[in-house]
Amino acid sequence: MEFLIFLQKYRVGIVLGLTLAISAVWVPGFVSLTTFSLGFDRGSTVGLVAIGLTVLLIAGKIDLSVGSVFALSGIVAIMLQPALGLWPAAVVGVLAGAACGAFNGLLSVVFKVNSLVATLATMLIFRSIAHWLTDSQPMAGTDIMFSVRLAQIYFDLFTLRSALFLFSILLLHIWLSRTVSGRNLFAVGSNPVAAEASGISADRIAFLGFVFASAMAGVAGVLQSLAANTGSPVFGSEMTVAVIAAVVVGGTRIEGGRGSALGTLGGVLTIAALTTAMEFQSVPAYVQRVVAGLILILLVLFDRTVPTNRRTNSAVTAAE
Amino acid sequence: MAFKKTMFGAGTAALMLTAGWAQAQTVCYVTAADAHAYVTPANEAIDGRAAELGLEILSLSQNFDVQTGIEQMSTCIARGVDGIILWPLDPQAYIPGLARAQAADIPTILINSPMNEEADQFIVSFTGPDVYEEGEMAADSLNDAMGGAGSIVIIAGQAGNGTTIGRVGGFVDRLAEIGSGIEVLDTVNADFDQQKALVASRDLITRFGDEITGVYANDDTMARGFIDAWLEAKPDTPMPPIVGINGQKDAFESIRSGEMYSTIVQSPIEDGLLAINTMAEILAGNEVEARLPIPLTVVTSENVDMVEPAF
Amino acid sequence: MLVYGTLSSPVFLTTGNFVNVFTSMAIVGIVVVGMTFVLVVGGLADLSVPATIACGAILSLALQPAIGPVPAFLVAVALAGGCGLISGLLVGYIGINPIIATLGVGTIVLGIVESLVGGVIVYGTDPATAELVKSRVFGIPVVVLIFAAIACVGHFILSHTYLGRWTFATGGNYSAAEASAVPVRAIKAGAFVMTGLCAGLSGGLLGLTLQSARPLIGTGYEFSAITAVVVGGVSIMGGAGSIPRAIAALIFVQFLTNIMVLQGVRTPVQGFVLGLLIAVAVALDVALRRRSVA
Repeated sequence: MEFLIFLQKYRVGIVLGLTLAISAVWVPGFVSLTTFSLGFDRGSTVGLVAIGLTVLLIAGKIDLSVGSVFALSGIVAIMLQPALGLWPAAVVGVLAGAACGAFNGLLSVVFKVNSLVATLATMLIFRSIAHWLTDSQPMAGTDIMFSVRLAQIYFDLFTLRSALFLFSILLLHIWLSRTVSGRNLFAVGSNPVAAEASGISADRIAFLGFVFASAMAGVAGVLQSLAANTGSPVFGSEMTVAVIAAVVVGGTRIEGGRGSALGTLGGVLTIAALTTAMEFQSVPAYVQRVVAGLILILLVLFDRTVPTNRRTNSAVTAAE
Repeated sequence: MAFKKTMFGAGTAALMLTAGWAQAQTVCYVTAADAHAYVTPANEAIDGRAAELGLEILSLSQNFDVQTGIEQMSTCIARGVDGIILWPLDPQAYIPGLARAQAADIPTILINSPMNEEADQFIVSFTGPDVYEEGEMAADSLNDAMGGAGSIVIIAGQAGNGTTIGRVGGFVDRLAEIGSGIEVLDTVNADFDQQKALVASRDLITRFGDEITGVYANDDTMARGFIDAWLEAKPDTPMPPIVGINGQKDAFESIRSGEMYSTIVQSPIEDGLLAINTMAEILAGNEVEARLPIPLTVVTSENVDMVEPAF
Repeated sequence: MLVYGTLSSPVFLTTGNFVNVFTSMAIVGIVVVGMTFVLVVGGLADLSVPATIACGAILSLALQPAIGPVPAFLVAVALAGGCGLISGLLVGYIGINPIIATLGVGTIVLGIVESLVGGVIVYGTDPATAELVKSRVFGIPVVVLIFAAIACVGHFILSHTYLGRWTFATGGNYSAAEASAVPVRAIKAGAFVMTGLCAGLSGGLLGLTLQSARPLIGTGYEFSAITAVVVGGVSIMGGAGSIPRAIAALIFVQFLTNIMVLQGVRTPVQGFVLGLLIAVAVALDVALRRRSVA
């Protein structure tokens, strides 16, 4: 039992370790600095969005519209480049993302629409605005050389994007585990009524959670558009599922009240490592999907069936 | 994290030592999708020819998602392959990946779909059909069929896709250029999907009815969707002339039966073979042309029995 | 809305157009019937629908040469129901969140089906089956009749049987239902089996109509189905809703889209209107319910 609980607690780390170990043995050329830095860079786009979603899931809400926000923010950032210049346009792009989040929050918190349905609706709305703005054509930015610079690898390890991702995870970790507002977030997610009773404004936290999630999707979208020098209405259409999978593999519960920054880091890295390793071996995409799906289901199954001695707030969620 | 970095560092050192192994040359092929009427035979042609040439293919499917493709470019570079064949789904977005490949001295060629001029400096060659020219050829063909006047609907592919942009752009530009009296009633996107084309066509037929005197579909699959919708709605009215692209087997049959006016044969097998052969030339150290087109043929009822369908 | 449609477009009120709309609707409509059960039982949503549709379409075509068209169709639908059963067990008996369970199961199932056929497009070998599916009885397309039959059966089960009453009880108040000896776990799992079967059936019909099936054939159907169910006033929290209302909403959405197309509204705008419609419909529903409680 002790052993199982140990497994349970560190399952993300274990799966990540196993993935890396197996890949290192079986996949020629996997263990190299280039693989690491590029794999990390690929994970960081999903990772930045995952950070936002981790917070929102802990607060007990979900956001299906992140993929559309990702595309929309990128388009805004590219579109305004000629008028505002590169950096101000990027900032406006992120703000546009945050505004989408405020709209989600409005629907979910003020009008009390279930977050799954509300963001399903806004997923359609934001995506159609993206098509509208661009007339369904990909839109080119002004400075392609900037994109090439953005893709550069520093110290053989980091791209600008992966460094930003790592830094954000660190901040998130500190926020969630060391601050009062971080703890309040868990309280709201596991039992909003009790949280309200103890003087925490559940609504305000949920609203800010939506804004944060969309702002992070905006950051990722703007970075992606800058890196590709393109704002495209079809970007991010496959993203939402990948992000939710990464966050859940990382041990965050979709019912709220539980999750961690390091878990999300583990989830993102596991999926990135797994995909890279399988692509190295030319494993067909459909087999990759089976493996990814199995890992997702098995980890969640494990989470459900092995009893834990965790903080009580998870017990409250389980009763729900 | 710190531990992991050391591990990777040690691994790299070990890898450096073993990197001298002489192995078969590996070509990374970032394809558009696994399962698609056009893409699949092209993929098979590349795999088959590569085996003959003694090249190893690392085949990665983007599943029509640009983001996935961009990330797969990174995988190819990390894997340290000898060459990359990319099937671009966006005219711009892969450029940083192409630049990275160039920095790593990996020659890259594009297959099937073009990219913008900015990409030219990073690629060795682009092999494949000229989609813009296909649009122009389709315009000429439909203009002939309709005697230079009438009103048509365009059933286009995926919005924002390079092939769609070229095929629609070439078509519309050509109509204007030859001063055709053909008027475009509406353009709808049906994503190269038969079911979507069927649904969209039903609505178009209801809306415009007999006003439709001609149809241009961006591929034969979608032309089939329109034919089905027309047969359903107006089984007794003669079909307006329909022009498709790709030259599929069932399009040939439709041309024989008079349901379709013409299609443009663009062979996915030729498409795939040209790409892998070009890559083999590059790897052998030979110079290749920057632009290598595959042959295009307009097929109507006159020559339908003399031309082989593309797939 | 129908009046507006009639006034604004001369072709709107023609039999041809109506047959059109209903034919387009039938495929997604069958899924809506299953999805209603999932929402009513409090199962949030079944996101494995694209996979089960593909399962139905691909297998009913791929197995044709080996075992004949009818057995192939039945096996395909049964296997799709099997996928629903796995999701159902994970959700009902183990208590995994339905979103995650159906997402995971969907990914796995689609991957397995694709590997079975080698990841390529499957073509039909028996054109007679296509003719059968496309044929009409008294001027009504066969798919529409199948849809109507499924809808009636679904409505009967949900509104006139123990099974239906238990479904409402489970979705309305899980612990109370459990206390009054309702087999809550089985009921919850059953809703997912139902959706699996429906999606498999509609996938099979889709495959036969088109005579070709690719893995992405079912993309988007899950959201269309959820849209109809939610706009039809079925609460996503479970315990309320009915199949006629969900189908009425589906018809509403279909006619709305139809009118927009007839008016030449561009595709992106249609998505915008649809999204807005969902948001407003549900927000109104919530507001009205709150008022009636107070």
